[in-house]
Amino acid sequence: MSYARTRIERIGDAALGAGRAAIELWLVYVSTIAGIVRGFSRKRGGRGRPKGELVRQMFYIGNKSLIFIVVTLGFIGMVMTYQACLQLSRVTGDFSQVGPQFMRLIISDFGPTLTGLMLATRVGAGIAAEIGSMKVTEQIDALRMSGVLPIDYLIVPRFIASLIMTLMLATLGSLITYGAGGLTAEFSFGVNPNTYYDLSLLRPRHLVLFVVKALAYGAAIPVVAGFCGLRARGSSEGVGWATTAAVIGSSFAVIVLDFLISAAALFLTDGDL
Amino acid sequence: MSAYIEFKGVTKAFSGKPVLLGMDLAVNKGEVMFIIGTSGVGKSVTIKHLIGLLRIDAGEIWFDGVRVDTIPERGLEPLRKRIGMVFQSSTLFDSMTLAENVALPLRKHQGMRHSAALVEAKKRLAQVYMDDYAERYPAELSDGMRKRAAIARTLALNPEVVLFDEPTTGLDPVSARRVDRLIRELAATLGVTAIVVSHDPPSIFSIADRVAFIYQGRVHVVATPAELRASPDPIVQQFINGQSSGPMETPGF
Repeated sequence: MSYARTRIERIGDAALGAGRAAIELWLVYVSTIAGIVRGFSRKRGGRGRPKGELVRQMFYIGNKSLIFIVVTLGFIGMVMTYQACLQLSRVTGDFSQVGPQFMRLIISDFGPTLTGLMLATRVGAGIAAEIGSMKVTEQIDALRMSGVLPIDYLIVPRFIASLIMTLMLATLGSLITYGAGGLTAEFSFGVNPNTYYDLSLLRPRHLVLFVVKALAYGAAIPVVAGFCGLRARGSSEGVGWATTAAVIGSSFAVIVLDFLISAAALFLTDGDL
Repeated sequence: MSAYIEFKGVTKAFSGKPVLLGMDLAVNKGEVMFIIGTSGVGKSVTIKHLIGLLRIDAGEIWFDGVRVDTIPERGLEPLRKRIGMVFQSSTLFDSMTLAENVALPLRKHQGMRHSAALVEAKKRLAQVYMDDYAERYPAELSDGMRKRAAIARTLALNPEVVLFDEPTTGLDPVSARRVDRLIRELAATLGVTAIVVSHDPPSIFSIADRVAFIYQGRVHVVATPAELRASPDPIVQQFINGQSSGPMETPGF
């Protein structure tokens, strides 16, 4: 009986902890949005982000992720097209739909989502480690004592930079995926480039979906990673846990958002996507 | 007359583990009060409650006639202008020069322009004999220099109270005594009230006006350094003499 009670209490504690964490995550998101609004209404020298921090973060999130995104998405494009052509060659041998369908898939889903997942690992880990280190060494407390709101100072510039750079990297990554797939299709299966690079199936709604997903992932990654960093406790071990939690949490957020946005898009277009 | 700073029946637990169990402490204006005790007994936790960096579970904290433990985070800015804190690990921001570090609270709390704040910051650094290093980054300096720069940053807002969290830990004896002298000068020349968390006997017995010894979640004794030395209490004697065995069987908890 006491064993069962202990188990139930543990499950209850875990559920309460998860609920509290979800509320805190939501508060970080709301505070970040409020911080952006405060940034617009604040005169220079106020309580906002440090000068030049936005550009620094855009460089860190964007430029420093460029090679990683290009190489990873390039290989994914090659593998996916190769597999698609291989399976088609075994069934019909008709490659005419490979390029147009692949383009539609990249724009409406794979381009932003794979970019988001890659950034969740690289950028999410970096943000959590940096903020987590500041937390356990009391630098966050020192910021609060200096009259600085930690969310405004640390998360807002990363949030804005991530929004912009995720959109740009997703665009570049999608083009690389498509182009690498085209080269693979041409040189491995002899697919005519004119057949592959056919954009006739692409519609404005796919581009809207692309932008919505890229912005959603760009918003989720710094908020989840920053939240994990702010919850770091203890010493270097706590920073390690925060970093791991940030990678898992932001990757999970990307996948869940992908599902929710895709489902909403299917609903809004009556399944004609 | 009530004390300048007063902790009344303060309790605090972390993840169910009790740290403070109804702690009472009164600090007078202009005095240098040391808080001592074994590691993990709640010394740093106590002073962080005063400025809202941590929240108490129960009890009351009063500062200059105003109850401060109930002030929400958004309303703490005026209090944090009046009470500064020097953290244990200096907490200077690595991406800023010393002058920029010291200028930060001037810009944020007082709304000074960047250039004016830097000029003022250099004056503050001169107070702790660090003006020659104003353009250097924290990573280029020794622990003692970083600690002095952190003190300058705290003093930038002319606080009435300064909280020092183990200010001499990790410093060589010469740097440690310089920091001690600085704390004493602050109280003597500027009338600053100092609350110092420390394990360092030379500091305790050279600059403290009074010492509060925390043991098992409560203030065990408050006394002058001379009274502490002469105390017949075996627990106090074990602590100040650093004896590994004695009545204090479980340090902290």
